[in-house]
Amino acid sequence: MTVDHQQTDHDVIKHGHRHEGPYKHVVAFIFSIVLTLIAFAAVAAGGVNTTFTVIILLVMAVLQVLVQLGYWMHMKDKGHFIPILFLVGGFFVAFTCVVMALSWVWW
Amino acid sequence: MAHAHSVKHHKGLMDWLTTVDHKKIAILYLVAGGLFFGIGGIEAMLIRIQLWKPLNNFVSAQTFNELITMHGTTMIFLGVMPIIFALMNAVLPLQLGARDVAFPFLNALGFWTFFFGGLLLNLSWIMGGAPDAGWTAYTPLASKAFSPTHGVDFYTIGIQIAGLGTLIGGINFLATVITMRAPGMSFMRMPMFTWASFITSAIILFAFPAITVGLVLLSFDRLLGANFFEVAAGGNPILWQHIFWIFGHPEVYILILPAFGIISDVIPTFARKRLFGYSSMVFATILIAFLGFMVWAHHMFTIGMGPVANALFSISTMLIAVPTGIKIFNWLFTMWGGQIRFTTANLFASAFVPTFVMGGVTGVMLASAPADYQFHDTYFVVAHFHYVIVGGLVLGLFSGLFYWWPKMFGRLLNETLGKWTFWTFVIGFQLTFFIQHFLGLMGMQRRIFTYLPNQDFDTMNLVSTIGALLMAVGVIIFFVNIVITMSKPKGVANDPWEDGRTLEWTIPSPPPEYNFKQIPLVRGLDAYWKEKQAGNTEMTPSEPVGSIHMPSASILPFVMSVGLFIAGLGFMFSRDEFSNSFLAGIFNNYVVVIIGLLITFICMLLRSVFDDHGWHIEPEELEEEGVKA
Repeated sequence: MTVDHQQTDHDVIKHGHRHEGPYKHVVAFIFSIVLTLIAFAAVAAGGVNTTFTVIILLVMAVLQVLVQLGYWMHMKDKGHFIPILFLVGGFFVAFTCVVMALSWVWW
Repeated sequence: MAHAHSVKHHKGLMDWLTTVDHKKIAILYLVAGGLFFGIGGIEAMLIRIQLWKPLNNFVSAQTFNELITMHGTTMIFLGVMPIIFALMNAVLPLQLGARDVAFPFLNALGFWTFFFGGLLLNLSWIMGGAPDAGWTAYTPLASKAFSPTHGVDFYTIGIQIAGLGTLIGGINFLATVITMRAPGMSFMRMPMFTWASFITSAIILFAFPAITVGLVLLSFDRLLGANFFEVAAGGNPILWQHIFWIFGHPEVYILILPAFGIISDVIPTFARKRLFGYSSMVFATILIAFLGFMVWAHHMFTIGMGPVANALFSISTMLIAVPTGIKIFNWLFTMWGGQIRFTTANLFASAFVPTFVMGGVTGVMLASAPADYQFHDTYFVVAHFHYVIVGGLVLGLFSGLFYWWPKMFGRLLNETLGKWTFWTFVIGFQLTFFIQHFLGLMGMQRRIFTYLPNQDFDTMNLVSTIGALLMAVGVIIFFVNIVITMSKPKGVANDPWEDGRTLEWTIPSPPPEYNFKQIPLVRGLDAYWKEKQAGNTEMTPSEPVGSIHMPSASILPFVMSVGLFIAGLGFMFSRDEFSNSFLAGIFNNYVVVIIGLLITFICMLLRSVFDDHGWHIEPEELEEEGVKA
C-alpha cells in the first residue's frame, strides 16, 4: 500500500495542529456555549412574538453548525476542499428533496 | 517479518468467497453481473416473443407484467451496474497506480451485498410471483391493495440490500481516487475512465440515499401498514414518484458516465492520438452530474405539476444536451486525423457515438413538455431509453470488456468472433429499437401485454422481435468467445494493444496480486504514452523496491451479506399466515429477522474488535516472482 505516502500526509496535518495550539479551540468552545445560551435565553424570555423567537433560534442554529463544522470538524483547515465539496453537494441534494416534498407535494 | 508466514492463503472456492483483491472482486462482479444480464436478456426475449404477433397468448398478462418489471430491474440494478463495477474494480486502481482500492474489505462487502440482494430479488420467480408493478414501482399500483403478492416486497428488500452494496462501492471508489493516486497523478492527469468512475461514485453517494429512503417508506407501507403513499390516510402517491426519480434520473447518469469514460479511453488508444479536449471532457462530466440532479421531474410531466414546473424542467433537461454535445464532438475530433485501427473494442466505441446521439436527440424531444404528453408511456419512450442504455451503455461495456479483457484475464478475446458479435448485436439493436420510435408515435403504449390486429402495429412488432433475436445471437457469440478464449493459455504482453496510454498497460496481464512492484511516478496525462514518447519502455518508479503491505482475506463480508439476506426474507414474510406452526412461530415473531441481523452484527463486532494488520510481501518474494514471470 502507499503507507509512506499516507504517513507523510498525516505528519503534515499533525504538524499543522501542533503550531495552532488550543487558543482557537477555546474561543470556538466559548462561542458554541454563548450561541446555545442565546438560544435558551430567547425561549426563556418568552417575548411577544413567536416568529421572532423562531428566527433567532434558526440563526443561532446555522451559526452553531458553521462553528461545529469549521472548528471541530476542521473544515476551516487546509486540505479540506473535498470534504467541503461533498458536504455542500449532500446539502444541495437534501435541500432539493425537502423543498420538493414540502412545497410541491403537500401544498 | 513474521507476518508473511502466518497468513492463510485460501484455495479454490474459499479463495473466491474470501478475496479482498480488487482484481478478483472485479471478476466476481463480472460473473454475477453476466449471470443477471443473461436472466434479464431471457426475460427480454420472452417479452419480444409475446409481442411478435397481435393477440398472442405465449404468456399471460400477469406473467408479462412480471417479465417487464424484472427485465428493467434486473438489467439496471443487477446486470449493467455490476458489470460497470467489474470494470471499475479491474481498471481504476491500476489507472491510478494504486495497489488496491482504499477499503478492500468494504469492496468485498459491497460485492456480496449486491449479490445476495440480487439473489433475493430473483428468488421471487420461485417464491410466489415476481414483482409486477414496473421497475419504477409506482404507487398505488405497488401498494398492498393492488399488488397483494410478495412480488413488490422482493423488489423493495432485494433492491435495498443490493443498493447497500452499490453505495459501499461508490464510497470506496471516491476514497480510492482521492487518497490513492500515485505520486504525480494530479486530478487533471487522471485517465478519463477514472474521472468518469469518480464522478459516477459521487452521483451514487448522493442519489442512492433517496432510493434507500423511498424503499424503506414503501416497504413500511406494505409490510408494517404505514400510510406514506396511501391517499385515504393522508399519504401521497406522487411523493413516491418524486423520491424515485430524484434517485432514478441520476441513476441513468450513473449508468452512462462510465460508458463515456470507457470510450474516452478506447478511442484515443486506437486512434493513436491524445483525447481531444481533455479538460472540457472533465468539465462536461462534472456538469452532467450536477445537472443530473435537477431534471428528475421530466419523468413526471403528465402528472399535473403545472406549466411553470414543466417549463423549468424542460429547460434544465435540454441544458444537459450541451455538455453531452461537447463530449460527442471531442470524440469525433479525437478520431479525426488519427491512425484508426478498428479492433472490436474500437468498433463498439465508434458505434456508440452515433447511436448515443440518436438516443440524445429523442431525449431532447421528450424534454419538451407539450410534446411529451404525446410520447408519454408509448414505445417512443421505450425506444429512447434503450438507445441510451443499450446503444450507449451496453455498447460501451462491450467496448470496455474487449479492451480490458487481456488485462483482466491475460488472454485476448477472439477478434473474428468479436466482430461477429459486433455486427449481429448492433444490427439487431437498430432493428429492435429504431422501429419502436414509430410504433410509439403511432400510439402503441408501453407495458401492454398484447394488441389488436390491423392497427399497423403487426409488421413493426415482428421486425422488432427479429432484431431482438439477432441481439441474442450476438450475446451468445460473445459467450462462446469467452469460453473459447478461457480454454487457451494465458500469456499476452503487458500492453497487448501496443498503443496503451495509461498505467494499467505498464504491468503484467493479469497483474500480480500487488499490481505495482514499485509505485510509478506519473509525469503527465497519459502517463505511459508520455514515457513511450520519451523513449522509455517502462515507468520511472517513485519508490525503492520494498516490502508490500497487503490486506488479509476475510469470509466476514460473505457472512454479513448472508445475514442481511436472511433478515430480509424474514422481514418479508413476518406478517404472513402459515399453516405450519413452527414456521408461523419463527416468522411471525421476527425470529428469522433477529437471527439474520445477529449474524450481520456479530460479524461487524468481530471485524471491530479483532485488529487485522494484513500481511507483507517481502522484496525477496518479489524477485522470485519476477524470475517466474
